[in-house]
Amino acid sequence: MNNKVPITRLGKFFGDTDYNLDIQLGEEWLYGDMNFTLVLYRVDRIKTKTDDVYGETVTDGIKFLPPVEFKGYVQIMAPENKALGNSKVEQMEPGNLKVSVYQRHLDELEIDIQFGDYIKYYETEDRVRFYTVNNDGRVVSDNKHNYAGTRPYYRTIMASYVTNNEFRGL
Amino acid sequence: MALPSKIKKNLPLTSPKTLLGRRQELLEKINKDGTYLPKSLLHADLDRGFLDFVKNDLRTVVEGKLVPTVDILITTQNWTQFTETWNFQNIDKNAEPPFIATVRNPEVKFGTNPALIYNIPNRKQYFYAQVPTWDGQRAGMDIYKIPQPVPVDITYSIKIICNRMRELNEFNRIVLEKFASRQAYANIKGHYIPIIMNEISDESVMDLEKRKYYIQTYGFTMLGFLIDENEFTVSPAVSRIFQVVEPDLKYKRTREKKENIIPEEKIINNLTSVYSYSTISIEVSKTFEYICNLNYLNDVNVGDYDVFINNLYYGNTLQTIQVNTNDVVKIIVNKIDPASISEITFDVQFI
Repeated sequence: MNNKVPITRLGKFFGDTDYNLDIQLGEEWLYGDMNFTLVLYRVDRIKTKTDDVYGETVTDGIKFLPPVEFKGYVQIMAPENKALGNSKVEQMEPGNLKVSVYQRHLDELEIDIQFGDYIKYYETEDRVRFYTVNNDGRVVSDNKHNYAGTRPYYRTIMASYVTNNEFRGL
Repeated sequence: MALPSKIKKNLPLTSPKTLLGRRQELLEKINKDGTYLPKSLLHADLDRGFLDFVKNDLRTVVEGKLVPTVDILITTQNWTQFTETWNFQNIDKNAEPPFIATVRNPEVKFGTNPALIYNIPNRKQYFYAQVPTWDGQRAGMDIYKIPQPVPVDITYSIKIICNRMRELNEFNRIVLEKFASRQAYANIKGHYIPIIMNEISDESVMDLEKRKYYIQTYGFTMLGFLIDENEFTVSPAVSRIFQVVEPDLKYKRTREKKENIIPEEKIINNLTSVYSYSTISIEVSKTFEYICNLNYLNDVNVGDYDVFINNLYYGNTLQTIQVNTNDVVKIIVNKIDPASISEITFDVQFI
């Protein structure tokens, strides 16, 4: 077990009690008021059969661990109207998904979001979209992810949408 | 060991035609189901032919699923793209990869097909076919003429958009095998149009925080030609000739005088008998194919001679022998000097 060193910086003005209170207030706002619900599909990297050379799977060939519902603050970027390369095939490319999630929430659920995992997000009751994690926000050393410079408390996950022939939760 | 995928199910009983026979076969194909004239071949036909070539000849199946093709050339009207891709759209009504799209460079350049690049100027009409006609009274002919086709080079790009490398590999294999000889042919309205493969390039999107997918571009040039049926001409051929000749009576043409030439045969048939035997009594026979008189001229080393016609005795040392057609004249000579050659000369007088 690693040694734990108490964080005492800013202790005179912002102690653990204040830190925990603010986190609780934030969670209350996020879970109670906002209540963005997402489903995490963690890829089972052992059971998923992949191509020996390219590591690719066939359609619907991705095996995943039991999906886990989690809460986070969801922001979806603006879609982009563009052509696919020079193909003149124009389409509205959906924007990326940005999820801010409390690290404590992940710890309580005993899950970790990794690069390549899939996230399901219901846009409407019958319209769901899958995203693949392209930035798992694991590095949280910056000031933004530290509450006033005390310790990291949330992660920002970036995910880009996937088409059904890559993943559709089956 | 796996069986080869291309198994011949039928063995051809006749050998394929070559050279002139093959050209005739191609001509019949061009004229099939139509008039005696070739079918018109314009830009839209070439484009349609190329799309069919992509759809059929470059058909790609991965994991048992056909990679769909956008079966139009995408133009300025966006709804056509939507219409053509509806069966492989996702919830956003975007075309779902993998799929293959064809893009045509709008500009069409004058062709570089070596068979057509050099031609006679001014759109000269060339004879194409001679077609028999019947107007109820007279049999005639119609002459069908067409101008030399105009060569065009049309540049296309085939783009495969997909998520997996194996889809790229499969499409790449099909294209490279098809164009192993640098060019392939599209049969468009019975015309074989060569297509040359150019470059292969990659436009894959590999941005870190965007959707990743492959786009590969295969460039092709179609060495086509334009045949416009509005330029064909059908004209009646000459069915009857009325020829009038008006001689000039002012000058009278004199005939060249010819010498009275004795036929060579008659000279040759002057009978000359030469004897070179050492016996006393020597005979010679000859069959005459005409009626004539043989008049004695002279002799050398001849005592006397007996004449037989058709083995019947005719006379001895005669001055004139009358001969009819197919008579066999036999002469038996008594030599003066048996060791020397004898010779009798007759003049042949034709009757």
